[in-house]
Amino acid sequence: MTTVLVLVTSSDGAPDDVALQGLSLAREVAAGEPLHALVLGDEAAAAGLGAWGATQVHVARHPALADIAPGAAPDAAARILGDLADRLGADVVVGPGTEPGNTILARTAARAGLPFAANCTVVVPGAPLTVTRQRWGGSLLEEAVIHADRAILTVAAHTVAATPVPGGAAPVTTFEPALDDADLVVRVVERIPAAAGGVSLADAKVVVSGGRGAGSVEGFAPIEELAGLLKAAIGCSRAVTISGWRPHTDQVGQTGTKIVPSLYIAAGISGATQHMAGCKGAKKILAINKDPDAPIMSIADYAVIGDLHQILPAISAELRRVRGG
Amino acid sequence: MRVLACIKRVPAVAGRMVLTPDARALDTRHLGFTISPHEECAVEEAVRLIEAHGGESVVLTLGPAAAVEQLRDAMAIGIGRAIHLETGDEDWDAESTAAALADAIRADEAAAGPFDLILLGNESADAGGYQVAVRLGRALGRPTVAGIKGIAVADGAVRCEQEVTGGRDVYRLPLPALVAVLEGLNTPRFPSVPGRLRAKSKPVSASSPARAAQRLELVRLVVPQGKAKQAEVLGHGPESAPAVVAMLDGLGLVR
Amino acid sequence: MSAETVVGVVAFGLVLYVLVGLFALRATYLLRLVLNGRASDRTGDLGRRSVREVVGVLFQSKLFLRPIPGVMHLLLFWGFLVLLPTIAMSFLGAMNAHWSIPWLSEQGWFALMVDLFAIGVLVGVGIAFTIRLGLRPRRFVGSYLQVAYNILLFEASITITLLLWHASQIALGINEYPAEWAPVSNAIASLMSAGPALEVFERVIVWVHALLILAFLVYIPYTKHLHTFVVWFNVFFERTRARGRLEPLVFDDPAVPEDEIRFGMGTIKDMTWKQMVDGMTCTECGRCQDACPAFATGKSLNPKLVVMGLRDQLYREGHALLAAAEGGAAFAGSPLVPNAVSDESVWDCVTCGACVQECPVGIEHVDHIVDLRRNLVMVESRFPAPGSAMLRDLERTANPWGNSPTDRVDWTAGLDVRVLQPGDPPPEYLFWVGCAPAFDERARVGAISTAKLLTEAGVDFAILGARESCTGDPARRLGDEYTYQALAGQNVATLTEARVTKIVTTCPHCFNTIGSEYPDFGGRYEVIHHTQLLAELVRDGRLAPAVGGESITYHDSCYLARHNDVLAEPRELVAAVGRPVEMARSQKRTFCCGAGGAHMWLEERESQINEERAREAAATGATTLAVACPFCTVMLDDGMQATGGGLAVRDVATLLVEAVERGRSAGRELPVLAGGPGGAQAERPSQHR
Repeated sequence: MTTVLVLVTSSDGAPDDVALQGLSLAREVAAGEPLHALVLGDEAAAAGLGAWGATQVHVARHPALADIAPGAAPDAAARILGDLADRLGADVVVGPGTEPGNTILARTAARAGLPFAANCTVVVPGAPLTVTRQRWGGSLLEEAVIHADRAILTVAAHTVAATPVPGGAAPVTTFEPALDDADLVVRVVERIPAAAGGVSLADAKVVVSGGRGAGSVEGFAPIEELAGLLKAAIGCSRAVTISGWRPHTDQVGQTGTKIVPSLYIAAGISGATQHMAGCKGAKKILAINKDPDAPIMSIADYAVIGDLHQILPAISAELRRVRGG
Repeated sequence: MRVLACIKRVPAVAGRMVLTPDARALDTRHLGFTISPHEECAVEEAVRLIEAHGGESVVLTLGPAAAVEQLRDAMAIGIGRAIHLETGDEDWDAESTAAALADAIRADEAAAGPFDLILLGNESADAGGYQVAVRLGRALGRPTVAGIKGIAVADGAVRCEQEVTGGRDVYRLPLPALVAVLEGLNTPRFPSVPGRLRAKSKPVSASSPARAAQRLELVRLVVPQGKAKQAEVLGHGPESAPAVVAMLDGLGLVR
Repeated sequence: MSAETVVGVVAFGLVLYVLVGLFALRATYLLRLVLNGRASDRTGDLGRRSVREVVGVLFQSKLFLRPIPGVMHLLLFWGFLVLLPTIAMSFLGAMNAHWSIPWLSEQGWFALMVDLFAIGVLVGVGIAFTIRLGLRPRRFVGSYLQVAYNILLFEASITITLLLWHASQIALGINEYPAEWAPVSNAIASLMSAGPALEVFERVIVWVHALLILAFLVYIPYTKHLHTFVVWFNVFFERTRARGRLEPLVFDDPAVPEDEIRFGMGTIKDMTWKQMVDGMTCTECGRCQDACPAFATGKSLNPKLVVMGLRDQLYREGHALLAAAEGGAAFAGSPLVPNAVSDESVWDCVTCGACVQECPVGIEHVDHIVDLRRNLVMVESRFPAPGSAMLRDLERTANPWGNSPTDRVDWTAGLDVRVLQPGDPPPEYLFWVGCAPAFDERARVGAISTAKLLTEAGVDFAILGARESCTGDPARRLGDEYTYQALAGQNVATLTEARVTKIVTTCPHCFNTIGSEYPDFGGRYEVIHHTQLLAELVRDGRLAPAVGGESITYHDSCYLARHNDVLAEPRELVAAVGRPVEMARSQKRTFCCGAGGAHMWLEERESQINEERAREAAATGATTLAVACPFCTVMLDDGMQATGGGLAVRDVATLLVEAVERGRSAGRELPVLAGGPGGAQAERPSQHR
């Protein structure tokens, strides 16, 4: 019998997408056995998890965590998760392969002295458990064996589809976890809101990016124009950031922002490994490049061959014409 | 103050991933090597902190003999000395890496005093394990925060900023502490040649820890298949604009 | 000796002592600066140096590239050479009206030459003033104009007082030569009448003349006119090897202590003696500026102002430098950038060498600019950010675009190209592909054409594939000598290990670096450009192109033509495939495409050099712009698209492929030509195997 526990992170009463993807992956591992979900404080988010395959939902409420986001005290979250896994005798603990998810699960593993496999795309149940996990931001996959009584892992973002269970429902129980002061040393003490305006790269539905082919700071003008027309965020490749043409906050890539828009327009970007790791989560990719054999073409859905400085203004003009008419 | 930066030697992968015949490693015969991008920022930050507050900066790596190149690169931009935990060519999992780093840090601290701040990359470019900093912090019994893009040290504490949806979260950790940083924390300087020449004579203390049994055991590597279908070419040059706009319309982005 | 003579000797002796002493003080200061300059090896090649001295200085070959200023300067130059003895004569004459140089002062022919050349000098001064005040060419912008006027006024007044002195002597009958041999002086003398007044006038005018000369002597070493003294040295010690070769820096010589290592030029302390003499020689004529593509397109770089700025800072801070060298306080010079030269100017340079080519006095501007870059990059880490992206890529992937080294062979898809594996027997020619043809879709066309032609002609060749690295040229031109030397060392080791003896390349930058620079790092190979090899194959009949009707203008790449003297072979090929038509600026006076000096990776400010060149090509009326460089291909194709010039930009090799195909189909139609390339090849014993 396999017992699986899933950490479901949430914000503002809704479970995170990647956490639901984790539930779906965990469902395959549980294969009909009990599937426990842990929610940190957010009862609203806990309510619907049965519909995503959870059979038992646990909500941890603690006064010290009342005023901060659940993921913002990672040591506390890790202890709560670890203690619950002990209590349930969990064989597999799954979390979302997000920044907070990875750090919480890593801490849970470190506390328990267990291995941790970050960003898994496939889990093959069994003893020992075998996983396929991402290296190089997903540009390379690793098949690995977890030699431990309890497997702790996260699901790589947007590699597993979150599939609902029609009519699924799960009881929700709320408990107060045990926490010490030491668990609360690492915690968010202040939040600085982002300046208003502009579309955030991570959440954008459309991203228009420029690469080395933009050629200069000024070379981003046609990219900015098209992004404005499509209400899109502006992105860029690492070569552009290093060249000082755009700030690092615009960088799409393995060491920049990993994006998941409906449409990604990559103009003058050849598609280095580093960049592809950040943009392959896009549903559709339009690549605009002089080189029809550029690596970006291998992951693009649509391609236009030629110079972005001629093509982007033409697209903007056509957009205006169609909208105006 | 004393600041330690931990780095990893990784290949500079530019295009296709090519594997060795046993599929357990990348074929790096034609590749250059570098410090993981996040860790380049950790090194830069360590140098800046010492420039601002005075003290000693040290760089530490666990890696093959050739990783001394990356240690020299770090010393070229201003790190004072290096510790090299020399391994064979095989990769170490995060658990055994963190354990070896912890031993080395304890030994160095016993001799030279505690590190106020230990900086690491958030995750290595190659293995992407997201855990060495956390394990090391646990082993040393010090607070650890990850995913950081802003650092300020004052009054015995480190203030760390993290980018999150809707703004920036601020942590304040009492020193000594560990911080796992992200690229974008700073712009690493380009090493000067006098710096590189000086780095050649800076001290590197080397030792060879034993590799424990790997509990996250790599079986084989797989290069993921790209999309099977070919990209649909919408056209060449500016004449393609109507086709592009028609595609955009199909996605509901025009009207 | 009369009392009058004693007074004259004593008075003039005193004047001479004071004024020559002032000159000597300044001259000693300048000489000490030069002796304190950093080393620069200019030995060897005595023959070439001597020839250049005669052709370049005595006959002023470069000045005659512009006929009117050339004539002007020749009149002034030869005028003063001829008039030199009259200086001594006037000094003697100032002491005693009857003293002069024995024998020479009695020669009619000399008197005639003095008169003629004096008039020549006055005409020269007249032309110079007309040019400077009337025509006001742009090349003088930024030069010290008042100083130039002062010099011309000195020259004119010295010459006029000379003529007046001679005339008064003739009128007084104290001339020693036959008066009719001096027509000008004689004519002026006819306006004078002998008498006590004229005797006084003769005394006064010879003193004025001599004092003007001595005052000028004191003035000269503070002005551009110093070139008259130092040009002899500067031209003699000019570089004699290929222009494109840069002087290596030495980082790892155990004999050189760390703080003595030279990282280019940061303060005047780092200037080589040649760089100092360059500044002292500069005449501020602006020929460099006129030829400079950066200046022509509105950028901040002006090669003349670079040299002047460095010189002025050297003069300003030189005393402190000398004091430090003699054990005084350590020298704390101010940085040359941005004090003498702005950051923008340093980065605007495309290292095309047009300035050096034009300079009549042997100044090596590119060496100055590269040395400034070296300091900014290697010591200050202060340079345009795109340059640092390029350098990081070079270090990590051994190519300036950060592409994967394993992709270097992608361009050979569908071609019969052997990739040389370790241990393989060496080919006759190693085809050094270069990064641009390996990774740029437009640049690769020339390499593909070359490979096809070599295969067609049966040449035994191979490429290094993933083992090839960038030659380091962009790093070196950007100022990162350290990265350059690492790449050079790596490539020399690879080539040596592969036992390569002959190298062919389509890239003039690789051609220059491997051929002209790698010998400094122990790599000695016979390096030829693909146009040279292809021209040889056509000459030998191993390739049989059929000439077409297309009119083609050929663009000389700076690193091929100006820096390495390859001019004829590309033209042979163009003539073999179409109708050649030359651009206004061609051969060694070609105009850059804008990519040199690592500019392929930097942002270009102001208007674009490649567009300027594309317009020039379009002005020939040709239909095709032939190039012989992968960078020129990309830059000029961009320029052509931006300006709508409409010329097809093609590598010479690509045009040759078409012509060979034309030749083959013509061969099928005309049996008399049957055999074509293949036949010719079969009949001819090959020199290539």
